[in-house]
Amino acid sequence: MTTRSDDQPFVVGRYFAGGKAEFLPATRRELDRNAEAYARVISTCRFAPGRYALVVSLLEEAVQVAPLEQACIDLGLVVTNADASLYDAGRVESIIRRFDVACVFGVNAATLDGLKMFGHDAAKVLGSKTIWVRPDGYAAAKALPGVDVRRWIDIGPALGLECSDGAGAHIDGREWEIDERGGTIHLTSRLHRAAPFAAADTGLRGRHAAEPCSCGGPDPRIILEG
Amino acid sequence: MNLASAKTPPRGFLNERLETMPRDRLARHQEAQLARIVEHAYERAPLIRQTWSRAGVTPKDVKSLAAFQDTAPFIDKDRVREFRDANNDPCGGLNTAAVGELKGVGSTSGTTGDPTPVPQGFRSPPEQSYLRDLWHIGARPGDYLANVMFTFRGGHRGRLMQEAGITPIYFSLSPFEMPRLCAASKQFRPTTLSMLSNPLLIALEQLFEKTGEDPKDVFRSYHGAIFGGEPLGDRLKNLVTSWGLELFETTSLGDVCGATECRAHDGMHAWEDIALVECLDPETDAPVADGKIGEMVITALTDRFMPLIRYRTDDLITLNRSPCICGRTHARIKLLGRKADQIIVQGKSVMPRDVLGVVENHSESRAGLFQIIRPQKQMDQLRVRVGYDPTRLKDAQTALAGRLTDDLAARIGVPVEVELSLDSELLKLGPPHKIPRVSKT
Repeated sequence: MTTRSDDQPFVVGRYFAGGKAEFLPATRRELDRNAEAYARVISTCRFAPGRYALVVSLLEEAVQVAPLEQACIDLGLVVTNADASLYDAGRVESIIRRFDVACVFGVNAATLDGLKMFGHDAAKVLGSKTIWVRPDGYAAAKALPGVDVRRWIDIGPALGLECSDGAGAHIDGREWEIDERGGTIHLTSRLHRAAPFAAADTGLRGRHAAEPCSCGGPDPRIILEG
Repeated sequence: MNLASAKTPPRGFLNERLETMPRDRLARHQEAQLARIVEHAYERAPLIRQTWSRAGVTPKDVKSLAAFQDTAPFIDKDRVREFRDANNDPCGGLNTAAVGELKGVGSTSGTTGDPTPVPQGFRSPPEQSYLRDLWHIGARPGDYLANVMFTFRGGHRGRLMQEAGITPIYFSLSPFEMPRLCAASKQFRPTTLSMLSNPLLIALEQLFEKTGEDPKDVFRSYHGAIFGGEPLGDRLKNLVTSWGLELFETTSLGDVCGATECRAHDGMHAWEDIALVECLDPETDAPVADGKIGEMVITALTDRFMPLIRYRTDDLITLNRSPCICGRTHARIKLLGRKADQIIVQGKSVMPRDVLGVVENHSESRAGLFQIIRPQKQMDQLRVRVGYDPTRLKDAQTALAGRLTDDLAARIGVPVEVELSLDSELLKLGPPHKIPRVSKT
């Protein structure tokens, strides 16, 4: 029987590099650190404890999303889930109809298309909630009346989330050193990780905003370009 | 059936004392758990309180298994939905978590209506049951587990595998993930996989045919893989065996926890310290003898967030409480199908799994996609809509329909009418992982 070392990954998820899916191992310590960083951002929205956070994701996004769920739990929210897929948009509507959902993370184009496919009005379903939307669904979500839209941005292995002030997606400044090179964001990991990164090109066209955010959070922001 | 593999699976139990507990001791253990869970549910689950009050029963009346089986009232999915709608309670009166105690809410697949919410803490009963099953299959600390699932079951809150030293590699339950699953299998050399389903096996078959990759090399590190979601037909079972991969079928015990085959492959072991399993005559509610068909009724023994008490699952099963050669003493279940999916054709019971076994054996319909057309339960003829792949047609569609009709009639023993439909059209009827097997039209 092999014994587990502290460096054995807690999970193996995935991220995208150059449009290709790569495996992403992560230790428990990394996930705990990420949870703290996400909580800093989400807490700017001041959701009341006891309400629900609906997380729309895929299981292989574990490294990015497990800490997001933990952050919500740490802030007193109850987490529920749907797959980020066309068919599970039906579940998104059902959950929002039945539970006191304060916020929805990870909405994408498939979710919006799925709501339409099932005959639901996305503005009615998502209205009066704060929703974090991935780039492929952002423009369509922003056009929905009465929906409070924030950005969810996959930045290579990292996840950036906009705060209540909505001026760029915060990325954990303690975890990552951020460079702009050739118009794309490059990441270098500062702390111990199962899979370290050194000036990794995320392929994301964006600007690193190091100036303080009016939300009061300490973390830098990524602002998309193009 | 034990499959030879390149690596001999380790033997042993995760918790030998519990898994091999003599049945009389197990019964006493269940009684002690039942007393606590019944009191907890009666006090904190409004649906249970209402149901028991209407039946004139209180926890004081139920101090033994026998008394429980004589007097405890039943609930079912319709009752839960009724309570939900009447009281605007999304958990149907079953959530017993105190404020601040609840971490998350999973849900069922929702193939038979609105998904049912499942309130959860950490280290849920399904996680506990599957850890035991994977340990039996051969997962050990330091190993990787290929974990293929949806997020809606429990999100990303699972941790029991990891706490046991097993690292999950995560995949969505989607045919499109199969190339990555194969890549991970070769890179990380996982020892177990949970779980595969019919659409995923079809996707793997097509992937290997297209790429020429050797499935025996892909799967050489695995001691076994859990299979679930639908019945496993013989064609796919034999195919996977030829890949060097041993499959262990699983089912859900009313969404309380899982029940999975052991290496004996003679029924799926329930974990009777996690769920009380009854097999009851659907008409009279009387217990049926081992080996006879009845409806599975489940009582959660350890779930303090959603204590289902005498929950009718609508699943038809047989139960076997005799000792198993694997050493476990917990009962084995054989699943026949959903009661609601059963049709009676000229007095004979027909279930979707009876049709699957025939459809998948024809090359054109090897994907096993079909629907039973069931406008009412009793019918004079079995009507089946069968999916086919037009690129595999050997002759006219009418000839294929004729062969399928003759084969189904011969194997099932009832008059049959077959309607053909393209595989691609049938797949539009549901999510990629499952299409409804029974349709009114």
